Amino acid sequence: MTLVPITYKGGIYQHDIVTDLIEDLGGYIIQKHVIAAEVVLQCFVPRDDIKLIRQISKPLFGEVTDTPLVGTEIAIVSMSLEIHHLPHPSCDIAEYVRRIGAKSNMVSLARGPGKRIAGLNDEERDVINEHDIAVYLMGNFETCIEYKMPTLRRGIEVPIVLCGGPDKETLKKIIDPPVDGYVGNVGRFMRRTKEADEIGKLDEIVDEITRVLEKKREEIQKDPLSVSPARLMGLIKEKVPAIHGVTSPTPLTVQMAGLRVKLPYDMFAGDLRKIEIEDGITLGDISEVVPSRMRDYILIKILPFSETNMVV
Amino acid sequence: MLAIEYFEVECPEPVGAEYYRQITNDVLLDHNLLRVIHKIHIYIDPKVPIFVAVGILKKITTRVRVGDFANVNPLEGKITLVISDETYLAPMLKIFWQKFGKDHVEQPDRFTVILYDVKAELKEIEEIIVADPSESLYKDLIYAFRCIAPEGFRLRSEKFSKEKFSFVASENTLTENIDEIVREKFALMGEVP
Repeated sequence: MTLVPITYKGGIYQHDIVTDLIEDLGGYIIQKHVIAAEVVLQCFVPRDDIKLIRQISKPLFGEVTDTPLVGTEIAIVSMSLEIHHLPHPSCDIAEYVRRIGAKSNMVSLARGPGKRIAGLNDEERDVINEHDIAVYLMGNFETCIEYKMPTLRRGIEVPIVLCGGPDKETLKKIIDPPVDGYVGNVGRFMRRTKEADEIGKLDEIVDEITRVLEKKREEIQKDPLSVSPARLMGLIKEKVPAIHGVTSPTPLTVQMAGLRVKLPYDMFAGDLRKIEIEDGITLGDISEVVPSRMRDYILIKILPFSETNMVV
Repeated sequence: MLAIEYFEVECPEPVGAEYYRQITNDVLLDHNLLRVIHKIHIYIDPKVPIFVAVGILKKITTRVRVGDFANVNPLEGKITLVISDETYLAPMLKIFWQKFGKDHVEQPDRFTVILYDVKAELKEIEEIIVADPSESLYKDLIYAFRCIAPEGFRLRSEKFSKEKFSFVASENTLTENIDEIVREKFALMGEVP
């Protein structure tokens, strides 16, 4: 059964019919937003059953759309927190990928700007590595990008999508070794993205991120995870009641091969490891529970089949 | 952009130059500074790296008087001021308090100020200078150029006078020949620093 990410948008009236249906089909709801009289569900559902969900949600005026970035956590790496980069373009891009279902975090570097002086410290590196993908937002000059990119990518193990002022071909030419994705003509600018061509650029970034993540998904498929992150999420919600007291918008953030649990590591890591998934197999058996560099959160890295020899 | 007679961005990278032209335009427009700039030439060389902005300012007399934003009506021993623009209300009240005393100044609502028993001519009140926006002009200009210049260029040399300005920034120590570069860039506009 292949689970695919979708977003359901519809009225709040009788939306529990859809929620129950998704759960009955073996799907998982990753996030649920209730905005006034509208409900937005980001979920994983079996590929073959999308038609059925569409059919059942039709009388409720619900809308089902493909959102390939659901269940991913993206780092938008901005060179600084100064007016030069915020709110445009960093926030524009971070907000836009959220609409397609991704959970985006903005990582601003302490010493990102400039050419010679640009640097990346160990905390920034580790935080970026906790994500599924890093989107680097660079400036307008190819000389600077070429000079500082080797420093800024040192130690980064996740795929990188590079956005910069020069066109795509130039970016490809100056980056050695190549990164996973490039989007040209998106450098530093000081106005809101609202014109059609600017929105087109944002779409291009989303397409590039999707392409790179699809590739990563295929890689994961070759050596499947011992348990689906979405399933683990449901289990933690059920067995760790403290998670319901967390006020963060996403107390459990689903990643492609893991889960970020926004509870203090010292207090809850032991309990999490002991959670039984099925037939005596505990969470600790099939995953690594490690402290996250982001606050005192917990990061669960799910191990692949090749390491655990089991899939639950 | 029509308000500026000369506007050039010079850079060895043509794509970068075009972006910086756009950024300069956006920032100056946002800060309402296009009206004070007559000519501007920007030079950026990311290889050095250096950012230079030189230009000529327009002469502006922008002293704001009470009469510019308020209607002054004398009536039976009191003077009623009807305010059309609230921007300068606070500095105006401050001046009135100082000049006439708080007992003589009353503000019944947002757009009305009444002066009681004031021994001043109508004309005199209308001519009171409330604010001079050009005082903060240099501060605004420097802030705007800090926004335009690439971030990380923290070593700066700025010269702002009544008519001309130059702004040089780099991330490395500024070399001794920056005066020469500034002179060159002024010459491109047909001016001298």
